[in-house]
Amino acid sequence: MSRLTRRNVLQIGAPLLGLGLADFLRLEAQAADAGRPTSQKSLIVFWTDGGISQQDTYDVKPDAPAEYRGMYRSIGSNVPGLVLSDRLPLQARVMDRLSIVRSVHHENGIHAPSAHWMQTGYFGPTLARNAAQKPSFGSVIARAIGSRQPPMPAYVSVPKSEAFGYQGAVYLGKAFNPFEVGADPNAADFKVPNLSLPTGLTARSVDSRRALLKTFDTLRRDIDDSGVMEGLDTFKSQALEMVAGDRMRAAFNLNAEDPKVRDQYGRHRYGQSALLARRLVEAGARCVNINTGNWDHHNDIAKGLDEHLPPLDRAIAALVEDLDARGLLDEVIIYCVGEFGRTPRMNGHAGRDHWSDCFSVLLAGGGIQGGRVIGASEKWGGGVRDRLVTPLDLLATIYHTLGVPLDTHYEDASGRPVSIVGGGQPIHELL
Amino acid sequence: MTNFKQITWQLLLLLVAGVISRNIAFAADTPNATVVRFSTDVVPILTKLGCDSGGCHGKATGQNGFKLSLFGFEPELDYDALVTEARGRRLNLADPDRSLLLLKATSRVPHGGGRRLNESSDDYRIVRDWIAQGATAPREDDPKLVRIELLPKEQILRTNATQQLKAMAFFSDGTSRDVTRQAVYQSNEPGIAAVDAEGLVKTGSQHGLVSVMARFGEQIAAFHSAVPFAADEAKMAAAQAQLDQLESKLGASSSDRHLLRQWRRLGVVPSAPADDATFLRRATIDICGTLPTDFEVTEYLADTRSDKRARLIDRLLERPEYASYFALKWADILQNRGAGYSTSKQRAGTTLFAAWIRDSLATNKPYDQFVSELLTASGSQNENPPAIWYRAVRKSPEYVESVAQAFLGVRIQCAQCHHHPTERWSQADYYGLAAVFSRVGRKGGFADAEVPTDEIIYLKERGDVAHPRTGELLKPRPLGGAEFSLGLHDDPRGNLARWMTRSDNPFFARTMVNRLWAHFLGRGIVHPIDDARSTNPPSNPELLDALAQDFIASGFDVKQLIRAITRSYAYGLESAPQPGNTGDTQTFARFYPRRVTAEVLLDGISQVLDVPTNFPGVPAGTRAIELPDENVAAHFLDVFGRPARMSACECERVDAPALTQALELVNSAEIQRKLIDKTGYAQRLAASDKSHADLATEIFLRVLARRPRPEELKAAVEFLVSEPDRAEACRSLLWSLLATNEFLFNH
Repeated sequence: MSRLTRRNVLQIGAPLLGLGLADFLRLEAQAADAGRPTSQKSLIVFWTDGGISQQDTYDVKPDAPAEYRGMYRSIGSNVPGLVLSDRLPLQARVMDRLSIVRSVHHENGIHAPSAHWMQTGYFGPTLARNAAQKPSFGSVIARAIGSRQPPMPAYVSVPKSEAFGYQGAVYLGKAFNPFEVGADPNAADFKVPNLSLPTGLTARSVDSRRALLKTFDTLRRDIDDSGVMEGLDTFKSQALEMVAGDRMRAAFNLNAEDPKVRDQYGRHRYGQSALLARRLVEAGARCVNINTGNWDHHNDIAKGLDEHLPPLDRAIAALVEDLDARGLLDEVIIYCVGEFGRTPRMNGHAGRDHWSDCFSVLLAGGGIQGGRVIGASEKWGGGVRDRLVTPLDLLATIYHTLGVPLDTHYEDASGRPVSIVGGGQPIHELL
Repeated sequence: MTNFKQITWQLLLLLVAGVISRNIAFAADTPNATVVRFSTDVVPILTKLGCDSGGCHGKATGQNGFKLSLFGFEPELDYDALVTEARGRRLNLADPDRSLLLLKATSRVPHGGGRRLNESSDDYRIVRDWIAQGATAPREDDPKLVRIELLPKEQILRTNATQQLKAMAFFSDGTSRDVTRQAVYQSNEPGIAAVDAEGLVKTGSQHGLVSVMARFGEQIAAFHSAVPFAADEAKMAAAQAQLDQLESKLGASSSDRHLLRQWRRLGVVPSAPADDATFLRRATIDICGTLPTDFEVTEYLADTRSDKRARLIDRLLERPEYASYFALKWADILQNRGAGYSTSKQRAGTTLFAAWIRDSLATNKPYDQFVSELLTASGSQNENPPAIWYRAVRKSPEYVESVAQAFLGVRIQCAQCHHHPTERWSQADYYGLAAVFSRVGRKGGFADAEVPTDEIIYLKERGDVAHPRTGELLKPRPLGGAEFSLGLHDDPRGNLARWMTRSDNPFFARTMVNRLWAHFLGRGIVHPIDDARSTNPPSNPELLDALAQDFIASGFDVKQLIRAITRSYAYGLESAPQPGNTGDTQTFARFYPRRVTAEVLLDGISQVLDVPTNFPGVPAGTRAIELPDENVAAHFLDVFGRPARMSACECERVDAPALTQALELVNSAEIQRKLIDKTGYAQRLAASDKSHADLATEIFLRVLARRPRPEELKAAVEFLVSEPDRAEACRSLLWSLLATNEFLFNH
């Protein structure tokens, strides 16, 4: 009579089982009838690991002395008065649909703690205590609003998690860690390891194993009141569906795209990752995190940027145009961000070092206004001149746009409720 | 049952009392009749309305520039925020109704928090009267809140019933008043009984134990209730009759008596005892972190001695796997963390510490001695392994929280920044405990590592801890105890260890008993295991006390404690519920199944398939439960919930299911490698000339530690016959059993 089914767990509410599990059941399993938030929006992130140089990309200083200005010229965009680095010509053509935040600020200059800050919104680990303390925004999104369409996972990393280990769920629970694609989408033989059968295992064997499991997996389910067993059952069928079924495989099959579209995105890791991300959000993923190359250009920054900027430029511009053409641009947020920017003044090795006092991020789509510039840096870079934006403000903007309630709190391991946005406020000028 | 008649009468009495007290309260609230006091009248309203909650103005950054102290624990700060800050614009003394505070709270001007207060409510009038009376500041001679009481204190309730609670506040001037509507309520089991903002408790359709906490100011009180499983007198009588029969079968142990008493009280009938194969697997996993082999299963099933379960427990406790498995558990709690160290030179510390823990368990070192050696450890971490505990635990909050959580079963984190919202702990308690460790000094150390290794721990001449708000220097003091009287050369850590391990310490033995009870029974008598508070009482206090007393009397003999727990009637029950205990999650009327932990699962798969896992950087053949720290790379273990050893909370090891776990089972290269290994069990089996029935029986014994049931044997044989490739058939059968919940759970 009082056996707990998933549905009455939902009716009773979370405290009975502990928030984590009930939420997991609500969000990660197929609970279409359970009043899932109606948002259909998703998020594609370009994480620029190592820290991209703002003054060579989105916050150029054409009038500054050479050691600040850097080696690139500036070009106009399709938004009057908005100039960009000449290494971003393709984004300049779609600038009316992109917005730049030029006044992001936090107070750490070391990769790992800064990555934690930008991934979670909170300062936490130091070099001495480097374990993650807060969940990444991708995990928060996965837990709060879940996958749009199982079996597609809510949170996917292409090709795998980076950001110094701070893209995980921490106390939200392992169910909200990213699903790692595990291979370069630009590789000729691109296959997802987790969806590919290990050596020696045939599809026929998987089918017979699946049938045998059904026969023998008969332990009474009512011995477990916690929901864990039911959750495992759901995931086992989801995993078998992913491995043996067609839907996931189809979503990951880049060969199904018109070669011209693939060319448009660029035949490199950036472009094909962006194309894959589009396919995955279409198939139901909520947050796809593309971990790009390393941008930690302390030495000879021109060499590094000349290699990395053109493919990033092409990938972002193509994604914007493709989403727009498909009528999806208002449904998908694009966010380009790293742990910090780089020093406004070039160093003695023709490079730039770490800089978190004032740096830039890119936001677009999902209903975020395009063609805007939020905030400003000082004359030659350096500090924030106007409209300081914190990491939590950025997350609040994204959560709000996606439909994640900003008053959401999750309990950490000690049972203390932690706000997902703390004091962060959405950037209203973008909404 | 007489119980229910009594309830009805008590309910009636209470209702009458409630009406009277409400009238009295109303009279006291009449405008201008009394002086409205800020701390005891106004602040509780702000708390009740949620203004000073952690999500709104109570958070550290405030909301829109208006910051209150969390849950109103610091009225002086709140007074400043309301009266002085923002150039005083939050109050309007000339026209109280035009005060921004009231305009916002009633949403007459836009308020992010919406409309919280009705203009015609008593709460509104009290706040307005306070402003009208000149917004008087809290004064030194204001009556102080001394305690609150919740009435009734306890009550047995039926399903779908209600119970109005009454909260009384008592003040230092001898007065008292009804604060039922101003108190804040919280139920620890809302599925069994929910409570509304007015203190009305409503039971639902579920049965069990429930406590409702009330908070007013810094004071808390609790109401304890039980909703019996037997729904009416006839069912209760039937349950008692069944329990009478059971009583004659029970042993004489005090644990069993206390379990029975609880079952009688709630009218719960326990499930049947588990069969021998289930018990063997259960105990072998719980004591040794290991699966029984097929040989062990056959041998145990053939044993006809009546005391074979007790003999099994004794045998298991003497196996080396017992020490390894529990050392793994303690290494989690003691945060023997390897992350951040790249070279084996630095890593030696974790190996040394792990070995010390294992040896302590293998030799059954008394638990009080084990903890004392840790807490008071000094000297070189190279020479005195327990001093390595001080490597992961380095700072004031880490000392306090680790000690409180690991050894005292108390979560005191909240009191670092403010008064604990659900217990009596204040910041003075927190920092008094911090002061015990303020003279821990560190010398030397290999500084290249992120966290230094090979430090020397010593006692500094001094080290001060100040109360963060008052600045007062605090003397070392244990939780809820008096300041230590210390000579110049006394190490306060020694005083703490002696205080903890005294036989009358209210926390120490109970916490260990509860920890191990939860390990074996799947749930603590206090749940969660490290969250003991008056508002979260033990489900069976007599059971907890009896086990704790025996534990102390035994000289803190851990193996003896494990014997007592695993020989209890509850541990031997089957997990399947039966009518009469359906929905029970608190009284141990059946065995609560749980997942086999990451390390045990991986070792189990290796054992079944007879192909070891190769872990990098440790000797070949090392099992997962023997790994020196959590930093030995093993994807499988991370996916299945191996903790990062960041806190002293066992909750860090999560059992939540995840898609990646299912993919690891379904599609793992590692399991497939073990299945196709040329010298592995699957290949050997395929190469044997065993009949299909023998193959199937052996596989069941080996994977699930039981013989197949007839229909399972039939299905397995049919499959083996149908599959032309005998090796692949063996692999598929093995795989499918490894992926069953029966394998993944200890049940």
